[in-house]
Amino acid sequence: MLRYTLIRTVWVFIILVTVLSINFILLKNAPEFPPTDQDQADIYYARQVADGYMTIELERDPEMVQMLREKIRNPNNHPDLVLIRNARYVDEGTQFRIFTPVPLINQYFAWVRNIVLDWNWGVSTRVQVNVPVYDVLLSRIPVTVRLNLVALFFYIPVGFFLGILAALRKDTVTDNVISVAVMILISLPSFVTMTFLVLIFGYGLGWLPAQFPPADVTGAIRYTAYVLPVLGLSFGAVASLTRVSRSELTEVLTSEFLLLARTKGLSRTQAVLRHAMRNSMVPLVPGIIGSFVGLLSGSVIIEVIYSIPGTGRIFIRAMTQNNYDFNLILGITAFYTIISLFAILLVDLSYGLVDPRIRIGAKR
Amino acid sequence: MEFSDPKLKRDKAKFTFVQRDEKIYDKKFETKPVGYFKDAMIRFGKNRTNVIATGILFTLIVMSIIFPTFTTKNYEALETRMAFLPPRVPIVENLGFLNGIQQVQSQQIDRSSIDPVTGLGVPNSVRYPTAHILMDTLENYDLPCSEKIETCIGGSVRLQNRTDNGVTVFQSLQSVFSDTSANPSISLNVKEVSPGTTLEVLAKDGLTGGYVVVGTISEAGEYTFNLNEAFESTGLFSTAVQLRYSSTNTIEYAEITEITLQDNRSDTPLINDLGYNLSMYPIVEGNGRSTRFDATITMSRFSYDAYGSALGDYTISTFSQVEYNDLMLAHGEACERIPNPANPTGWLHGEDCPVREVLRETSAVVVDGVEFRSYSLVMNYGLYRGYEDDIFFLAGTTDAGRDLFNLTWVALRTSLLIGVAAAVVNITIGIIYGAISGYYGGKVDILMERFSEVIARIPFLVVLAISVAYIGPGITTLFIVLIVSGWIGIASVTRTQFYRFKGREYVLASRTLGAKDTRLIFRHILPNGIGTIITASILSIPLVIFTESTLSYLGFGIGHGQQFNIGPINFSGVSIGVLLADGRTEIVDKPYLTIFPAIIISILMITFNMFGNALRDAFNPTLRGSN
Repeated sequence: MLRYTLIRTVWVFIILVTVLSINFILLKNAPEFPPTDQDQADIYYARQVADGYMTIELERDPEMVQMLREKIRNPNNHPDLVLIRNARYVDEGTQFRIFTPVPLINQYFAWVRNIVLDWNWGVSTRVQVNVPVYDVLLSRIPVTVRLNLVALFFYIPVGFFLGILAALRKDTVTDNVISVAVMILISLPSFVTMTFLVLIFGYGLGWLPAQFPPADVTGAIRYTAYVLPVLGLSFGAVASLTRVSRSELTEVLTSEFLLLARTKGLSRTQAVLRHAMRNSMVPLVPGIIGSFVGLLSGSVIIEVIYSIPGTGRIFIRAMTQNNYDFNLILGITAFYTIISLFAILLVDLSYGLVDPRIRIGAKR
Repeated sequence: MEFSDPKLKRDKAKFTFVQRDEKIYDKKFETKPVGYFKDAMIRFGKNRTNVIATGILFTLIVMSIIFPTFTTKNYEALETRMAFLPPRVPIVENLGFLNGIQQVQSQQIDRSSIDPVTGLGVPNSVRYPTAHILMDTLENYDLPCSEKIETCIGGSVRLQNRTDNGVTVFQSLQSVFSDTSANPSISLNVKEVSPGTTLEVLAKDGLTGGYVVVGTISEAGEYTFNLNEAFESTGLFSTAVQLRYSSTNTIEYAEITEITLQDNRSDTPLINDLGYNLSMYPIVEGNGRSTRFDATITMSRFSYDAYGSALGDYTISTFSQVEYNDLMLAHGEACERIPNPANPTGWLHGEDCPVREVLRETSAVVVDGVEFRSYSLVMNYGLYRGYEDDIFFLAGTTDAGRDLFNLTWVALRTSLLIGVAAAVVNITIGIIYGAISGYYGGKVDILMERFSEVIARIPFLVVLAISVAYIGPGITTLFIVLIVSGWIGIASVTRTQFYRFKGREYVLASRTLGAKDTRLIFRHILPNGIGTIITASILSIPLVIFTESTLSYLGFGIGHGQQFNIGPINFSGVSIGVLLADGRTEIVDKPYLTIFPAIIISILMITFNMFGNALRDAFNPTLRGSN
């Protein structure tokens, strides 16, 4: 078991580092979008230098200065003079102060060093100019995580209940109704269900807020505001959990040990509760942990529709066309990657706990 | 033939040969042979629900081709006058819904339009011309309002200081002439005055004198101050009304509802300021502020004949003469000029002429010796565009005046085509990858498995971010996101199938006979696993459509105005996700923009999944019901 745990953990870290590194290198290699405001840009570039992503060079040669000036005014001048990509040229009269990016690989090591030593994920360039990415995220993560956890704790009991109900009443009206509902809910895109929910309960009947209230609103609305997004988020999950738990339980219900349990004198209820349920739950547990990843990425669209100030919405804002905030995107994708990979690690480990073959270390 | 076991003693005489004298031939099958696919088809046909679902799915696909091809309605061009028409369905419209009548809420009324008989006003706006408002549904209602706008009437005005122990002087907008002999007076209706604060009323003494206090107020009530008592001079004077408000802190206030300046020369007051005018009093001294309270704004709600309005008459201020002449030619006799006695600069046209009336003709502009004129005229849009009277937009029209019904089918087609195209790529990559990985096994398999695991673990947001950073939102990004990890499911299914079949005896037999890898893969292993692979492939299509519409909804997929080709197939830039994203901005007022596309994509996803499940049940009966 130890060996298995160790291998899985190391493997998850390898994937994590790979994904984050690829992400960093590719995004840093793309054309940059620094702050538009001059003063903010000055602060930003100074930080870039301090963090080791850029160096300052001075160009004092009057001829070069003049050439650079003309080149910047009109890119068609001096065709053989190539401006460095993502560099910043500051005209200081007699000289040019040039902020040049260091080679990508050095930037990468600087980035790793900053994160490991200072937990410095850079600053936001467009969404909240010059605010550290970690602070931006920190203000958003609680909302998203709260939403997802509420959805998780809502959908698990509901899904189990419906699945068990359908399995126990297999091939009856109840089962058929549940199966049809499952089929529909599993097929509907979450933005369609969410739109209808908002349309009906938000605008139509007016029972629940049609948009997520701002943070300073107090009272019952702070809690009722979670109802619609949680529903929108968990409909699909409820459907798939119902489906899986139904099929697991039906399989167990027809197995021989359950027959044995009945023959030794247990009532149907006892047999189902003590033997069938437990055995059918075992393979479902890893699936539930894994579903958290699905919920989390599904919550991006729910956040956008319901205007929830969470990580998903700020991700979409950071991705506004030609207004990209790469540092923030890096931070958010890192957040999503870390959470999903650790959920996957948990899944793997729980499989190990559940399945003795894996625990002992036998090969598949 | 000897029996090998000597202990068994059998009497040979007891055994006879059955067919010693007969020749044995292959017997003909009495029933028709049933192949794998035929067998699957039979099983497929047995599940009634799934057959119906498949039927609906294929009907959707056929409709997405037929409707846009054969429609006469516009779903491509921009036609602003037809924008936002609500749905209208023949026959159903007589039942009172889906009848093209728009329910309009919260429209400010134009006070001058209030009908003295009914007491109701209409907005009188360009957006909702009165002619097409269904008058029997018109209702007016009041809303509270605190803005300093003219349409907001009544209420009181609260005067406050911004500093402690502040004094602020407000002055009426109007200045009026009066005479002391006419017994001028200023009346105030004061709603509330905070204790400890004073409100003084001032007026200007004589034509050139200074403002003098004519009254002091320290509690609520109605006051009238005679100016003669305060003035020193007599005769003609000119004054505005000033209010000097002094308080000890910024929370205290004085609230006034009405100020009147009247003399006995006429019954109408010289100054009579309520709500709005009162709130607009400029500050001539100090830095206080005034805010409105309890004012109301009158709004109207009504049913609006959107179709009649869109197809009805409207005024065009400049209409080129060339076009006008073309219209005249095209309509011939219907467009004969009829002199208009009411308007000598213009003329009228007949009933069936698109041009109802020419209001006037502009003077000619001469360019290179050619005269150019334009007309200001009243046009009937329906006749102009050749629309019939009862045009039906089954699902309404979009912001660009496109028919949503047909647009949805076009969008469905685009979604399906992108889904299928991406799925084909995924399936191809997946089958090849899975086949290699599963067939060769060993180190190759381990390496390929690890690689696909890493790819599968990359969150799609990362892929999205990177491709948007390099390419920008659009079809390429869409395809990259769809394909980067889309093939993994198919690959793992294929790999499992290969593991299952590659060790079978017939494969070994073929290999011993010298078959090459390609032959083994494509002739012996793949056909055996094809059912499972087909099922996985079909079930991957709705998933792709799902991702596509999600991305387009978020604005990272395709968008309006994009045109692109994949091979010979031409795509429009509209997919269901794009339509729903458009509808989102108007969801409160115009939910129909969302409902129809949402229903269509729901039906598509549901039937596609049921179709996939039915196929799986048919191909692998052992998996039935396991979902």
